[in-house]
Amino acid sequence: MPAKLFKGAEYLIVETDKNDIFTPEDFSDEQRQIGDTTEQFVLNEVVPLREEIEHHNLPLTVELMKKCGELGLLMIDAPEEYGGLELDKATSMLAAEKLSQAGSFSVTYSAHTGIGTLPLVYYGTKEQKEKYLHKIISGEWIAAYCLTEPGSGSDALGAAATATLSADGKHYILNGTKQFITNGGMANLFTVFAKIDKQHFTGFLVERNTEGLSIGPEENKMGVRGSSTTQVVLEDARVPVENLLGEIGKGHKIAFNVLNVGRFKLGAAVTGAAKVSLATGIKYANERKAFGVTIGTFGAIQEKIADMSAAIFASESLIYRLSGLIDDRLATIPKDTPNYYESYQQGIEEYSLECAIAKVFCSEVLADVVDAVVQIHGGYGFIQEYAAEGYYRDERINRIWEGTNEINRLLIPGIILRRAMKGEIPLQKEAMKAFESLMSPSFDELDDSVPFAAEKVLIANLKQAFLVLAGSGVQKFMDTIKDEQEILLAVADLAINIFAIESAVLRAEKILPKLSESKKASVSAAVKVFTFNGTEKAASAARRAAYYIEEGDTLTMLLAGIRRFTKYDATGLLKAKRQLAGASIEADKYIF
Amino acid sequence: MKLLVCIKQVPDLESRFKPNAEGVWYNETDLAWRMNEYDEFAVEQAIRLREQLGEGSELTVLSIGPERVVEAIKKALAMGCDNAVHIQDPAAATKDPWQIASIISTYAKDKNFDLIFTGMQSQDRGSAQVGVTIAEQLGIPCTTTIVGFEYDNGAITAKRELEGGIKGIVKLKTPALVTCQLGLNVPRYPTLPNIMKAKKKEISAITAADLLREEPLATTASFHPPAKKGGGIVLEGDVGTLVDQLIGILKEKTAVLR
Ligand SMILES: Cc1cc2nc3c(=O)[nH]c(=O)nc-3n(C[C@H](O)[C@H](O)[C@H](O)COP(=O)(O)OP(=O)(O)OC[C@H]3O[C@@H](n4cnc5c(N)ncnc54)[C@H](O)[C@@H]3O)c2cc1C
Repeated sequence: MPAKLFKGAEYLIVETDKNDIFTPEDFSDEQRQIGDTTEQFVLNEVVPLREEIEHHNLPLTVELMKKCGELGLLMIDAPEEYGGLELDKATSMLAAEKLSQAGSFSVTYSAHTGIGTLPLVYYGTKEQKEKYLHKIISGEWIAAYCLTEPGSGSDALGAAATATLSADGKHYILNGTKQFITNGGMANLFTVFAKIDKQHFTGFLVERNTEGLSIGPEENKMGVRGSSTTQVVLEDARVPVENLLGEIGKGHKIAFNVLNVGRFKLGAAVTGAAKVSLATGIKYANERKAFGVTIGTFGAIQEKIADMSAAIFASESLIYRLSGLIDDRLATIPKDTPNYYESYQQGIEEYSLECAIAKVFCSEVLADVVDAVVQIHGGYGFIQEYAAEGYYRDERINRIWEGTNEINRLLIPGIILRRAMKGEIPLQKEAMKAFESLMSPSFDELDDSVPFAAEKVLIANLKQAFLVLAGSGVQKFMDTIKDEQEILLAVADLAINIFAIESAVLRAEKILPKLSESKKASVSAAVKVFTFNGTEKAASAARRAAYYIEEGDTLTMLLAGIRRFTKYDATGLLKAKRQLAGASIEADKYIF
Repeated sequence: MKLLVCIKQVPDLESRFKPNAEGVWYNETDLAWRMNEYDEFAVEQAIRLREQLGEGSELTVLSIGPERVVEAIKKALAMGCDNAVHIQDPAAATKDPWQIASIISTYAKDKNFDLIFTGMQSQDRGSAQVGVTIAEQLGIPCTTTIVGFEYDNGAITAKRELEGGIKGIVKLKTPALVTCQLGLNVPRYPTLPNIMKAKKKEISAITAADLLREEPLATTASFHPPAKKGGGIVLEGDVGTLVDQLIGILKEKTAVLR
């Protein structure tokens, strides 16, 4: 039974109960088995070939994709009607997470199963699905998604590619260049976006052997070198009219809705990558000796391990909480609903804010992790023979694609304001209340008898800070707030950290009663460490926003409020870090 | 033809083991569990035979243990077993191999299994007794540590691995039991569609107490980590003196040069 259904962005104004979230500890036996099959496949069949894949052996990658197909790893999100499994998002995320250990291969996989397959699943006609879906979910064909152009990346709708109906009305003639297309060098089916008559942005399914379609040379990349990234050039490419995807002029819906899932999935994948990277760091810390002892005994190394473990715990909590939100909502749509996928899209769109948060937060956790893991390796982290070096390079792209982290951050306040305008969330009302509490602080005693009492009060306070700042910004700038990017970015950071801290705390609260004493200690330590780190970031973002928005007495008042709203008593922080590091070092891996 | 494969769930061997409070087994807290590796070979071989026999044959997977072992059972079902028996026993780890075997043979006695597959041994207790004891209790022939298996019309040809890399061929007639060794096959991954289909397969539950007739023949006296060895000796110097030193040590402290 789905727990309470939450609206998108609602977390910012309501309190969530621990029993209303999904956690990795809630996986069914089947979900765990799927995770296991995926992991075993990656460890036994892909990881040993890593070197070869990195040296761009694309036929090998194609072979491995076929094996993925045989195992059913490409059919998770495809409808049963067309031979798919139609599993929930939690399963899909778990598979993405486990696959991420495969490095470049996981890029091929993600692009294929995500942006490559989903446009067809969501918007394809019966005929289109019958023609292509089986080939794609079996791995016989590889799929790619062509949105970006040399002149338009973030500004995706600024695409210059054109489509013109042929004189006999049977074909669209496509012209244009698509840039940085993942799987370009091996794909058989391309979802291409182009403007009909230079104005109606529209999607098309384009087969590789289409006359007039050519593939550019492979890009020489900083990381994920074993993945294929090429230009896709269309010169009077004749695409049959029946390959138009969705509706004329509605290409932006396809492009953006698919990106919601793409961002979410990226969050899951980078979380998996972070776990693997951290494990490599911990193992090294357990082996490397300096000054006669293993470096894992040094506080400097332990602190890194503790901070990383806590951040990954939050990253993981956030991803599966979001899976739960989406799965609960999608489960309310009867499968026989006419236009099922339209309702489905709306279901996912509801959480576009949380998807953007997942993308930004989790990719930045990975960034911190790979950096710390190189540092733990010292000079060896700079040498290619060591995995840490590859993790470091491979990480970088995740903050750029699927919408840069700036673009995703900017989306966050944008979505909130739009929802507020439409009256979907009572932002104004709540902001007013927050202003009142800013003036008249309450001094309720903390109820220490419940677990994580301090954290829960903090979360409620951080939401107040968010409301006060968002409210101030809107009040001051009204419509032009959208041009105040520095403010928007700061407010986004606040929203991101609130969601992350809350997800970690709720998960901990939910699982705590079932844990052994030592696990309880580790989970509580992770909560303390992450809440402290997350709050520091949130507080800094809040102060930044206050300085950007206000001055004089109002500024002073805002800053005083922020100080109060971001106060977190992290007594025992050092002990928590040592506990967490100690447990990780003893287990020789990520412990949650 | 009726086939049975017996599996055990064991801890991930990369776990850090600690003795339990009674000091006779390991502490199970926070361990990750998986199917005993040798049993995976058994399951794979049983499924291959099941596929070879086709319609009219039936493969049952059996496991004894607490609730958690259902996960291992489900894996076997997802790999291709037809149905399952979970013999519920929260205290399976306290029973000796004789008792475990007797639970299985009591269960199997009137079921007329033509062929029973087990792993060669479990990765945790490692007694290698359960398979052979079941055969003995059921009064059927058995062969152990097989690395090759063929079946044709009631006759099994099994390849066994012997000491020093020597292989032996054993032929036996069903009903029979075989215990499976590393190298027999490469177990398949349960595919996603099969994992989902396995949800519908039946797992019947029986309590161990209903099947247990035997007292233990052996008890575990103690379970403990090996005593810490003294540190190693590092010899330094040029090769000539190194050799002299080493020979001196070997003569003095070991029997190899006497
Ligand atoms: C390896 C690789 C694989 C890729 N795979 C695919 C693929 O399969 N399909 C596909 O369609 N695309 C793909 N891309 C393209 C990728 O999505 C884009 O590179 C990305 O969206 C950024 O676009 P851009 O490179 O044009 O940068 P720009 O849009 O030029 O951005 C440059 C900088 O300006 C910032 N910026 C831009 N606009 C704004 C704004 N309005 N406000 C504030 N800041 C802004 C950006 O954040 C960034 O920091 C891939 C890219 C790479 C490198």
